[in-house]
Amino acid sequence: MFLQNAIDFLPILLKGAVITIEITACAFVLSSVLGLVLALMKVSRNRALSTFGSTVINLIRGLPIIVQLFYIYFVLPDMGIQLSAFQAGVIGLGIAYSAYQAENFRAGIEAIDHGQIEAAHAIGMRGPLIMRRVVLPQAFRIALPPYGNTLVMLLKDSSVASTITVAEITRAGQLIASSTFQNMTVYTLVALLYLALSLPLMFGVNQLGKQLALRKSR
Amino acid sequence: MIEINAIHKRFYNQEVLKGVSLSVKAGEVVCLIGPSGSGKSTVLRCINGFETYDAGSITIDGVRVDANAKNIHELRMRVGMVFQRFNLFAHRTALENVMEGPVYVRRTPVAQAREQARQLLDKVGLSHRMNAYPSELSGGQQQRVAIARALAMEPEALLFDEPTSALDPELVGEVLNVMRSLARDGMTMVVVTHEMAFAREVADRVCFLHGGTICETGPARDVLTEPQHPRTQEFLRRLLSSSDAHATANPN
Repeated sequence: MFLQNAIDFLPILLKGAVITIEITACAFVLSSVLGLVLALMKVSRNRALSTFGSTVINLIRGLPIIVQLFYIYFVLPDMGIQLSAFQAGVIGLGIAYSAYQAENFRAGIEAIDHGQIEAAHAIGMRGPLIMRRVVLPQAFRIALPPYGNTLVMLLKDSSVASTITVAEITRAGQLIASSTFQNMTVYTLVALLYLALSLPLMFGVNQLGKQLALRKSR
Repeated sequence: MIEINAIHKRFYNQEVLKGVSLSVKAGEVVCLIGPSGSGKSTVLRCINGFETYDAGSITIDGVRVDANAKNIHELRMRVGMVFQRFNLFAHRTALENVMEGPVYVRRTPVAQAREQARQLLDKVGLSHRMNAYPSELSGGQQQRVAIARALAMEPEALLFDEPTSALDPELVGEVLNVMRSLARDGMTMVVVTHEMAFAREVADRVCFLHGGTICETGPARDVLTEPQHPRTQEFLRRLLSSSDAHATANPN
């Protein structure tokens, strides 16, 4: 019985899984770019820029993801900005996660020993070049393990996009369940699909962390 | 070449430099000595604009040093600096550390910069460790890479901020040897140091700083063997009586 239903439902859920992966990937890229910009603002020596950066980060962190999604999907059209559910999902999750990414990048940037920055100045390097050649390459290495964890969190939180009708795994599950009443089968499958995606990711992140630790102790 | 004229500096309420004047000619080696907190590192850091000063002036070949001016980067290319804690770029090999400035600041072609970096590392005795990362090098080796990195910018003068203070005693000698050969080649050097044997042997002039002023200055041999000022006498007596200083004063 479970197996028969599973075989019937799986193709629809797998389609949802593809959308989950797409929305996670797009939102991750967007949040990385926005997060880096916010982090650079926040560590900037320019007062106005750094205040602006931390204000934006705090605003984003202070709002539930679901409210941000609703705002983008339901309120922006009133201002003449029409977005598809998928686009709204990517933008909403991307913005929501940019705050976490920013804090993560900032921690990496601030972990760089100030002496190296001074040494870079001493050979005539200027701020932007120092950022690009000395600070960011090392900051990325430090930020990489938490960066991977953020990806896993984002994968799971992409289920929030179901609330604005993005047909990812959770939404696909809801639709099947409400028409077949096979709640147990459907949600068990949904849970298994998430695990099938997140566990390998977590394993990968772990391996990466171990390799980095090894390289450091070299 | 370097003219320091009565500079004053205060950190909050504390006046750390009270009218320090010093003139360094091209090819000269000047050692700044004195107890910690005497202002010797601050003087050094003012020369290449790492610290601002409140009054007085510093000029390098007639160009005024101003930490906030646009030309400070050009000035820093002409006056290199070597730090107590080496400050090598941790994610780059010894060779890449030395190439970084020429390639990304002076825009030297990579092949040419690599060749130059090889020669410099050879000069500091590290041709066999060119592809090692800083974490794989001893402190003495790291400091020698740092000297090569500073030399790669072909500076007219080099500032050394306690270059051997963070080293194990047995590694001090190799760094001093490199500095000795630089001095012999005619490099203009200002060295903040506690290595009295080095100062006596290499320096043309020694300045003893105390409480933000230069108490005594003169030829190295005079200041170190027959100090006139009671503060200098006391400082040198203390330094020589501590066994640690004795060990590092005779590294080889």
